[in-house]
Amino acid sequence: MSTQEISLEELRQRQSRFRGLEAGHRACLGCGQALAARWVLEAAGPDVVVANATGCLEVFTTPWPESAWRVPWLHSLFENTGAVAAGLEAALKVQGKTAKALAFAGDGGTFDIGFQALSGLLEREHDVLYVCYDNEGYMNTGVQRSGSTPHAAATTTSPAGRARLGKRHLKKDILAIIASHHIAYAATASIAYPEDLKRKVRQALLITGPTFLHLHAPCPLGWGHDGSLSVEVARLAVQTGLFPLIEMERGQVIGVMPLRTIRPVADYLKLQGRFGHLFRDDPRAREELEHLQALADHNIEVFNLRADRPDPADSEGADTVRRGRRRF
Amino acid sequence: MILTRGAYALPGTSLAYKTGTWRLQRPVHRHRAAPCHAACPAGEDAQAWLARLDEGDSQGAWESLVSANPLPAITGRVCHHPCERACNRGQFDQPIAIHAVERFLGDQALANDWPYPVSPPSPAAPEVAVVGAGPAGLSCAYHLLRLGYKARVFDALPEAGGTLRTALPPYRLPRGVLEAEIGRLLNLGIGFEPGVRLGRDVYLDDLRRQYPAVFLALGATRPRPWDVAGVVPAELHQGLELLKEWVSVGELPKADSVAVVGGGNTSVDIARVMRRIGVPEVHLITHRALPHPEVPEDDWMPAIPREVEQAQEEGVVFHPHTGVRRLVLRGQQLLGIELVKMKKLVQPDGSLKRVPFEGTEKVLRIEQVIPAIGEMVDPSGLESLLGCQEFLLVDAWGRVAGISGVFAGGDMRFGAGMVSIAIGDGRRAALAIAAYLQGKEPEAEPVKTIAYEQLNVNYYDHAPRAEPTLLPVAQRVGFAEVEGGLDTAQAAAEAARCFSCGSCLSCDNCWNLCPEPAVLKLPDEIPGQVRYVFDYDYCKGCGLCARECPCGFIVMEDEA
Ligand SMILES: Cc1cc2nc3c(=O)[nH]c(=O)nc-3n(C[C@H](O)[C@H](O)[C@H](O)COP(=O)(O)OP(=O)(O)OC[C@H]3O[C@@H](n4cnc5c(N)ncnc54)[C@H](O)[C@@H]3O)c2cc1C
Ligand SMILES: Cc1ncc(C[n+]2csc(CCOP(=O)(O)OP(=O)(O)O)c2C)c(N)n1
Ligand code: SF4
Ligand code: SF4
Ligand code: SF4
Repeated sequence: MSTQEISLEELRQRQSRFRGLEAGHRACLGCGQALAARWVLEAAGPDVVVANATGCLEVFTTPWPESAWRVPWLHSLFENTGAVAAGLEAALKVQGKTAKALAFAGDGGTFDIGFQALSGLLEREHDVLYVCYDNEGYMNTGVQRSGSTPHAAATTTSPAGRARLGKRHLKKDILAIIASHHIAYAATASIAYPEDLKRKVRQALLITGPTFLHLHAPCPLGWGHDGSLSVEVARLAVQTGLFPLIEMERGQVIGVMPLRTIRPVADYLKLQGRFGHLFRDDPRAREELEHLQALADHNIEVFNLRADRPDPADSEGADTVRRGRRRF
Repeated sequence: MILTRGAYALPGTSLAYKTGTWRLQRPVHRHRAAPCHAACPAGEDAQAWLARLDEGDSQGAWESLVSANPLPAITGRVCHHPCERACNRGQFDQPIAIHAVERFLGDQALANDWPYPVSPPSPAAPEVAVVGAGPAGLSCAYHLLRLGYKARVFDALPEAGGTLRTALPPYRLPRGVLEAEIGRLLNLGIGFEPGVRLGRDVYLDDLRRQYPAVFLALGATRPRPWDVAGVVPAELHQGLELLKEWVSVGELPKADSVAVVGGGNTSVDIARVMRRIGVPEVHLITHRALPHPEVPEDDWMPAIPREVEQAQEEGVVFHPHTGVRRLVLRGQQLLGIELVKMKKLVQPDGSLKRVPFEGTEKVLRIEQVIPAIGEMVDPSGLESLLGCQEFLLVDAWGRVAGISGVFAGGDMRFGAGMVSIAIGDGRRAALAIAAYLQGKEPEAEPVKTIAYEQLNVNYYDHAPRAEPTLLPVAQRVGFAEVEGGLDTAQAAAEAARCFSCGSCLSCDNCWNLCPEPAVLKLPDEIPGQVRYVFDYDYCKGCGLCARECPCGFIVMEDEA
């Protein structure tokens, strides 16, 4: 069948995989979060109900009277997604329905504002998959720093100036906090490795009980890179060791994506405007660059990320394509 | 429960909002020629036929291949394969073993008798005369057939094949393969007139009167004369003559030590033949360097690098950057040759000159010296055409200046000298002849290629290149073929290694990575048809798909 024989409308409805997020949404060009949400729903399938905190994802998908969602979806407050998802799950249980409850929130809604509700959700062992779309800042309200903004990144509330070169504090180690809730499964994933991401979603859904996914989703607007570079930026975050891809069970690391070639952090940083000040001719900039490199090296050491031999599932094998299909 | 206005929306209703209106640039599919395609002198699009093979269609792959080159079992064995040096994969790990897969397909076609995708010419079609049944002439005749013309091929010799038959050693090109491939080609309905010599049995003027167009492909079959300061030893035999003799009778008189002078394929082959007939000491003297990645290519000896390597394995001693300064004679008897080191150096006027270095002379004791310093066109019967030139001067389409309807190609024109070049010349001349017969200008072929930097190699994984097996040196005797072929699994693996530079790989990346999504996938797989469409109603023009396309098949264009 060719395009002459089928209209685009019809073709869109006949795509061979489930699409939970429809086109026509208002995300910026190349938005990593839109891409991430597409994949989470593709892997989670139609039988889900979503609670979604305020943030870009909520705003760009639901300008009334339209919605880009093709699954039942509920908007929550910024601070209570965990609680709303817990309620959803309880309601589904009472109604005898098998649909899985998902909670979606940004890093602001997860690391900071919605954290208390999230912690309660995990502690009460609700059967909910909580997905944090981490674009490392409060993007929807104009790029403010969050607990997730990396050290030395510039935002409107952590500008690079004479007094300080971007954010003074570190990126919060959210996974360590999640781990201490002793849940059955938690993982990090990246839009640069979609098959890995989808596998982790499916893995989480096998579990009855709370699970947590931390998705690295570049924001071209807030990070200051071209929309075409979102995947490249996400890939470099992984390949530098700044965003390790790991899986945890009951707080123990049970798997990591090994790094075949470890790239210097500068390769990742120099693509992004939010780190532009680190490439000035300034001793403090050089120091901060070294600092970020040390943070990456620390991750590599702590999570043992260095591959000892090439592996099809490592940072260079995992995104390989073949004619007619992805490799996995 | 009653939901009030503002509290809900229906699923997927965002489609009402056409985000395509935001777009400043649009992604488009754009095929660009792969470097292997642009580098193939015969005009093969290796990317296209590797893709067919990767899809599991080996016959389709062969058909695609022979749309340019009708002799893949031959070229798969003897071509110097510049495609592989151009191959983008060479910048990643190792180039695709294009020649080995080409040979595999050629051999498969012979084994399975796959029919050439050519229909016999109509009896009423105009007939073109081709002189010379070497690769250039045969290729021209074949492509004339493809274009709907008849072709009649004349050759002075009793059999077709040209230098491939007369001089190419069977340990590189087994005669069974040569016979089979050329036989199948002639059977397509090409008229063949053996034993007809231009300038003796027939003249160009006759041919021009009888045929609307003539293609000349007489090759360069005369060895270039050689002497050292005007002196030659008694009983001098040219390398090419000795090779021809060995190829036809399998034996040669042998000396105890031999020096071959020259750096082309003929010199390397006669040196290897000398080893095969049992000469213990064989030297090869060349002005140029051995082929090596660190040496500038224009200094490499012109022989095919892998032949040089195999000759070395077989015990031929190479003397690069060396010239023969003097013959050491006792009366008529040769005692040895005086060698001197030399190099090509830039002169004050910018030209290059070979400079012998005084003080590096040495005498090499040998019994026989065999010159093989190149071939030239045999001018007999062609005097008026050649004038005082050694080679024929033609344009890119093979048109001979000043004589309408006469075309030429292959070794007889300046700058050729390889089988694949001869095949390409024949193909281009056929196109030019067809255009000429229709009163048109031939159409230039696009050459825009895609560079390594335009690929996204993150999506490819490293994989070792398939290396054909080589006969152990001890078994390299007589006509035994040195290089082996690939098996089906190796050929398939090699096809799967291909990056598909500039053409869609159907990898789903754009379909997977568009954040809208604005890339839709067609339900059925139709070979050769791109399976993805852009839905411009929703594409915002972010460029992600173009950036992440492994093959560089998507480019962003400014919106008007
Ligand atoms: C020893 C040797 C090894 C080689 N090895 C390689 C190799 O490994 N790879 C490679 O690519 N190339 C190789 N070459 C070069 C290759 O053989 C030639 O480039 C190629 O054969 C040229 O093809 P052609 O059709 O132009 O001429 P030819 O193959 O020489 O054919 C010319 C034909 O014209 C006929 N002819 C000549 N004069 C007349 C006339 N007056 N009337 C009628 N017919 C006539 C001849 O009989 C012959 O059949 C080698 C050459 C030699 C000599
Ligand atoms: C309690 C509360 N404080 C502030 C806001 C304003 N607000 C809406 S979205 C948002 C930022 C969301 O950031 P994040 O959760 O990281 O998601 P992103 O937009 O970056 O995807 C803020 C501050 C709010 N809606 N509620
Ligand atoms: S601001 Fe960032 S996260 Fe929000 S829609 Fe734009 S690109 Fe996506
Ligand atoms: S990778 Fe394939 S398409 Fe690209 S140059 Fe090499 S053979 Fe040709
Ligand atoms: S990724 Fe999607 S939105 Fe971006 S240019 Fe390609 S088709 Fe358009």
